[in-house]
Amino acid sequence: MPLMRPIKTWTGWVAFPAIVLLCCMAAPSRAVPSFARQTGMACAACHTVFPELTPFGREFKLNGYVLDNMKQVSGIDTSANQTLSLNSIPPLSLMLQVSYTRTKQPLPDSAVSGALAKNGDLLFPQQTSFFYAGKIADGLGAFVQLTYDGAGDHFGFDNTDVRYAHHWAFGGTDGNDHSLIVGLTLNNNPTVQDPWNTTPAWGFPYAGSSTAPGAITSAKIDSGAGGFGQSVGGLGVYAWLDSHFYAEITGYTSAITGGSHPLDSTQANVVHAFAPYWRVAYEQRWDRHSLEIGAYGLTAHDQPGNGKPLSGPTDKYRDAALDAQYQFIGEDHLFTVLATYIDERQTLDASVADVLAANVDNDLKTIKLTGEYYYKRKIGGSVGYFSTTGSSDPLLYAAAAVIGSANFSPDTAGYVAEVNYMPWLNVKLQLQHTGYSKFNGGKTNYDGTGRAASDNDTTYLLVWLNY
Amino acid sequence: MKLYYVLAVALALSPSFSNAVYGADAAPDSMTGAQKAALQKTIDTCATCHGVNGRSVAPTFPNLAAQTAPYLEAQLHAFKDQSRADPDAQAYMWGMASQLSDPTISALAAYFASQPAAAGRPGSPALVAEGKHLFEEGFPAKQIPPCASCHGANAQGMSIFPRLAGQHAPYLLKQLLVIQSALRTAPVMHGVVKDLTRQQMDAVVAYLESI
Repeated sequence: MPLMRPIKTWTGWVAFPAIVLLCCMAAPSRAVPSFARQTGMACAACHTVFPELTPFGREFKLNGYVLDNMKQVSGIDTSANQTLSLNSIPPLSLMLQVSYTRTKQPLPDSAVSGALAKNGDLLFPQQTSFFYAGKIADGLGAFVQLTYDGAGDHFGFDNTDVRYAHHWAFGGTDGNDHSLIVGLTLNNNPTVQDPWNTTPAWGFPYAGSSTAPGAITSAKIDSGAGGFGQSVGGLGVYAWLDSHFYAEITGYTSAITGGSHPLDSTQANVVHAFAPYWRVAYEQRWDRHSLEIGAYGLTAHDQPGNGKPLSGPTDKYRDAALDAQYQFIGEDHLFTVLATYIDERQTLDASVADVLAANVDNDLKTIKLTGEYYYKRKIGGSVGYFSTTGSSDPLLYAAAAVIGSANFSPDTAGYVAEVNYMPWLNVKLQLQHTGYSKFNGGKTNYDGTGRAASDNDTTYLLVWLNY
Repeated sequence: MKLYYVLAVALALSPSFSNAVYGADAAPDSMTGAQKAALQKTIDTCATCHGVNGRSVAPTFPNLAAQTAPYLEAQLHAFKDQSRADPDAQAYMWGMASQLSDPTISALAAYFASQPAAAGRPGSPALVAEGKHLFEEGFPAKQIPPCASCHGANAQGMSIFPRLAGQHAPYLLKQLLVIQSALRTAPVMHGVVKDLTRQQMDAVVAYLESI
């Protein structure tokens, strides 16, 4: 979630270079016209408004991104078994985000003490992504994203989900009464494989400033590129029964790009062994409505590394979450409600040993509640409430200008309100405002330098093109 | 898409097959395992939106079960050659139908025609009664003929005229509207629905959904 950038542990003391670091974390991105090119279906088949998925979009994803209506390059062996089934045109697409960010009060200059940075930051681009999103072979498909990040000025691997799915029909007089999809997913960000928009990778807000200050921490599973996003690899298996029941288990381990390999003490936050991710959900569809309730979680043991050998004590994160999603997709009116609650328990043996955290046991609770409305997929908006509360820790949530906490608390709360205009289904013009009632534990002077939570209120304009 | 090609090739190689009427349960003995599997995969694809056995959940997607085969076949051809161009046809079906071969279209039409119809859902009694009257008697004052004269006394459909019984009311309403506004071409229906009011549409679709 771009608005609540995590800053774990010691970075609190590092002050402003850390803000620059935060800006280097690319926002996740989505909604790919190559799927439309492959299937021959308009965006509206799979999306209410991108990137939020419709029930059909969820089916498309769970079927392995392979639904296809393109001419194929095919091959067979002498036993007439298919050896190749390839789209004659590759399912490629491009995304461009250009954004402008303004905070209520300017941020301090990153180099000159007492000076202020320019308030009003145009990023051209904030992000540009190339996608291969579609079928690879029969039953095998991929969503692969390569992203250039404007603030970080780097090009890298972004969200990726490669999956294989097999569909069975069974039961009843003609063997068609039940439907079961079983699939494998190989991905690099926990929840990027999830078909609902309540889980973090595809959750609200779908885009946000990459330069505005973010809260001091967020749950491990909710930290995107600041947590596991694009720095782990996972292999999982899922089942989807009768378009009602979903279950998945995926194991993740570190897959850090760059730096020294094999991974050693020069790397930071290396996953010890495997981190299991689990997910269960139930969806009911009736008329134009759909309702999902579910639960998900992740348990990870981290080696902090960063100068320390990858052995000895670990930091344990146990995230368990509940979620619910309601959608009404009418001809003219579209409503969505998204809710999630994430409970995180931390057991920070390694960080305490390294004097990066004061408490062995910390907890963090995250609530996100969002309502959306669109008229004819043309104009609409969203209002979201977010709240993070947790135990105080003077080392983990240390005092620092803007990004720290004077009372060592991670508590942050506020709202995101946005208005979106979609002249075409693949073009979004967005005006977003984020308001904080609490930031890093306080309403006024939260950082000890006199900054108020509301000084971080952010106005964000975005031009978001997918083609 | 592989399955279409496999099915198309399989059907082309099987001359006795093109007129066969079957469901996956009643597939001809002459079908090879690969042909049956290809047919099943195609049906699974349709089922994603149109529901298990062609009985759909969301009213955006019509029930196909027990629809007349000639109508289904004509519509699939109309999606494929893009002559049916209402918004949902473009958004969903142009792509879905683009790679279907003629034998595949025939096979799918036969399969869904052979499935048991979806059960009707009761509507407001007053509306249903008004709709029933319109369906059976038409509205002579505006030269609106009885729907039953083409669609059958029980709206079961007749050849190229589609079955309407048990169809989702929102789907039927949308079709009346897009035919009236000429977004969907339907030569016979254009004259029939020209003067149909919204109230009459609401009534007749409520009746049709209920039976």
